Amino acid sequence: MSLEVEAMNLIELSDYTLSRPEKGNGLKSFHFSLSKGEVCAIHSDSFDDAHLLIKALATLVRPLQGEYRFHGQAIEFSDYRNVLSCKKKIGYIASDSAMLSNKTVRENLLLSRCYFENSLLLDLDENVSRLCSIFGIRNKLDLLPSEFNLLDLRIAISIRELTKSPELLLLERPEDFIKHSRFDLFMEILKDVILFQVPVVFISYDINFVERFSNKKILISGGRLQSVSK
Amino acid sequence: MSQVIGYIGRKALMSIRHVLNLFAFAYRLFALAFKRPRAGRALVRRVTLEQIYYTGVQALPVILPIAIIVGSMLIVQFSKVSGEYNPGKTTVLLIVRELGPIITALLVILRSATAITTEISYMKVFHEIDAIEMAGIDPMVFVCLPRFIGIVSAMLCLFVVFDLASLIGGYAVVWLVTDISMGDYLDQMQKSITLADISEGILKAVFFGITITVTCLYRGFRIEKQITRIPVITSKASIECFFYCMLINVIISIIFYL
Repeated sequence: MSLEVEAMNLIELSDYTLSRPEKGNGLKSFHFSLSKGEVCAIHSDSFDDAHLLIKALATLVRPLQGEYRFHGQAIEFSDYRNVLSCKKKIGYIASDSAMLSNKTVRENLLLSRCYFENSLLLDLDENVSRLCSIFGIRNKLDLLPSEFNLLDLRIAISIRELTKSPELLLLERPEDFIKHSRFDLFMEILKDVILFQVPVVFISYDINFVERFSNKKILISGGRLQSVSK
Repeated sequence: MSQVIGYIGRKALMSIRHVLNLFAFAYRLFALAFKRPRAGRALVRRVTLEQIYYTGVQALPVILPIAIIVGSMLIVQFSKVSGEYNPGKTTVLLIVRELGPIITALLVILRSATAITTEISYMKVFHEIDAIEMAGIDPMVFVCLPRFIGIVSAMLCLFVVFDLASLIGGYAVVWLVTDISMGDYLDQMQKSITLADISEGILKAVFFGITITVTCLYRGFRIEKQITRIPVITSKASIECFFYCMLINVIISIIFYL
């Protein structure tokens, strides 16, 4: 039975400890798992701790101890190359998500495809083009990220992450990340993502957003994952 | 006293660890260069060409006048002592073996090494390296390998350009103001230049290119997450590059002298 439960989990972090960042408490020996279809809201007394958890789920932070299982397979953090295949499957929309500043936004959106399909002659696929049109950045795609205003840049990052077909989606304060006038559009897209059973973990201070989407909640207090409720 | 010895010991151990890390980083780059991963080859090729353009082609307007100035300066000085020394031979020895590679390295450090350290540090501080990794792309392949191949190739080409401009251009300038005979000078040069001179220069240029790239990339990747550290790291990397180049220059010169 326990094996079956394990197999259902997309990610599982066990006995995981994260060092204290510049601010915040760090996270001490916690367990966290997420299955397909789960949408988890993080509540925390410290935003830095919640951000640390999101980064850890994105495998961007090495644990001091503990094990991270992705699709049941333990990730070996000693060599960063082992983690790349997992990272590719994780959509990360957060305050520290970035685009390459020396490439145009179009090149940024095409980067992964150009790399893995080994071609420089690719064009944006239909889904990306559609989202760019919906969010009103289609005519700005040949500009550098530094020429974009912050909100449009965040939209471009969101499009990049949503269209990489993530198996896990991590969101940090989407209500601040996406322009208010377009937040409803973003929520519609997120609803579609959730319909495809993609697990989502998010930090949000928008109570309506939390109530609308989450079916699991965790609380971080004093550097401890104190309660998990459904 | 024991505190002083302890301090020196700690500094020495840190330096050894740093140099070993540089060797390990260089080993990774060499392994990648020979392995030539299939994924991203088109993208890597484009970034490599861009790097050759930035480091090699864009440096030409700077390196050509400097080469001519250095060449003419040396030829003028040696023409004064032409009774004691063979000016053609001395100029070739100094330019091809010593000044050519080291001045080229200095120019590459000033132009490209600082740019690369700043660029990589910036990418690191502003999470662009994380973004590359989140796309499943190995930054060593996408960021480091093209710069490594690009700078080493550009360095080699610039060295050849510097030597030619310095020897020929320098003479052309001197021809206007001295009475050194073109025939004698070229004859002396032709007789004095050997395969060993050219090999030594090429070897130095290649080693300098490798050293500069590895040091700058490594320094850039090691930055802590503070933007104020970028100028400090850039300055450290440039000085370090120049020191290593001087050291390698001496070692190679001694090997060829022996």
